[in-house]
Amino acid sequence: MPLAQTATTVPVVVNDDLCIADKGCTVCVDVCPLDVLRIAETAEGSKTAYMKYDECWYCMPCEADCPTGAVTVNLPYLLK
Amino acid sequence: MTVLFEDFNDIDDLAAGLNDPTPSGRIMAVIELADSADPAAIPYLAGAISDADAGVRKQAALALTDFDGPDTAAALVVALADSVQEVRDAAAVSLTELKEPAAGDALLPHLGSADEFTLVACLAGIKELRRPEAMEPAIAALEHPSPTVRMQAVGVIGWLQDPAALSALQKAAADVDVQVRRVALTALGFSRTEAAESALIAALSDPHWHPREAAAETLAKSGGAACVSHLRRALDDDYWQVRLKAVRSLGKLGAREAAMQIGPLISLDIPNLRKECAAVLGELAVPETRSFLAAFEHDSDPDVRKNVRWALARIDAAAA
Repeated sequence: MPLAQTATTVPVVVNDDLCIADKGCTVCVDVCPLDVLRIAETAEGSKTAYMKYDECWYCMPCEADCPTGAVTVNLPYLLK
Repeated sequence: MTVLFEDFNDIDDLAAGLNDPTPSGRIMAVIELADSADPAAIPYLAGAISDADAGVRKQAALALTDFDGPDTAAALVVALADSVQEVRDAAAVSLTELKEPAAGDALLPHLGSADEFTLVACLAGIKELRRPEAMEPAIAALEHPSPTVRMQAVGVIGWLQDPAALSALQKAAADVDVQVRRVALTALGFSRTEAAESALIAALSDPHWHPREAAAETLAKSGGAACVSHLRRALDDDYWQVRLKAVRSLGKLGAREAAMQIGPLISLDIPNLRKECAAVLGELAVPETRSFLAAFEHDSDPDVRKNVRWALARIDAAAA
């Protein structure tokens, strides 16, 4: 079976530069009703939120409640 | 010993984070203070409204949503004058969450504000607090050139439900702005006077369908037998939304004489209207309307079917 050549895209994208998970923020993880977001340690040792499971409902509180505007939910074309 | 909760942080300890040199650290302190749900956090959050960073100020304005009272309201009023629109918007939203009437003390002095944004936010904030002192400035705000201000002012008057303000609401029901008229007509619902009823009947001929819909709906509360003939005319309105509200109001008023006129409406291709017609025909239980209902016992919409079967059962029970 051929390996995937490109990284899988997920609907919830977190801007590492804006994410303040390093300071203890877990707002997006806490508000997600499907519990698909997690906090991970980056290669540089800092922390950032990311989408672990691809099961988004596009309900948007992660984007709306993020205190720094680091989270973007990419809505599928047909939902716009 | 079982530990049910994490160690509780002292408010002063949490507030120490507001001195963090980084905005992100201060934002976290604001979030933690809000999560504490302790009213002792209010002065600290109020202080964060004046932070140098707009993100911290916005978070503080949002965090104050979880609290109530005059101090919270005072801090949010300060944020209404912020230089950043996002902070002002957050404060305006938080103001509408106030529930404690005492919080109105901080809003009342601003009900004559020259700044439109502040005026709209304070009127929206004091609406549900139902402070009688807000009546006079709200009536004065009905003369404001901005329709947004006038609409919020009507909301304040409507929530107070004071018969003394009936003439002001009647005037607002003839406002040049459609939405002001719509809100004013809905607000008239508290009064069962002839004046309110005549204003609502007149609005059934409004050139825009939103006020007509509001009038048709509100007549169920404010209207008497005199409005039935006008509501029956509204059953022929160009907009099904108006027809639906007229049907509902006729049902609430128990207008059995309108049943044979409502019957044919059940055949229209609008499920919501069919559902409402079936419910009202069941409510009125006029035996002659049975044939209209029977034709839709197997309607494609399950809600319509349910109401039709309920209505048929009521008519049959009444006939037995």
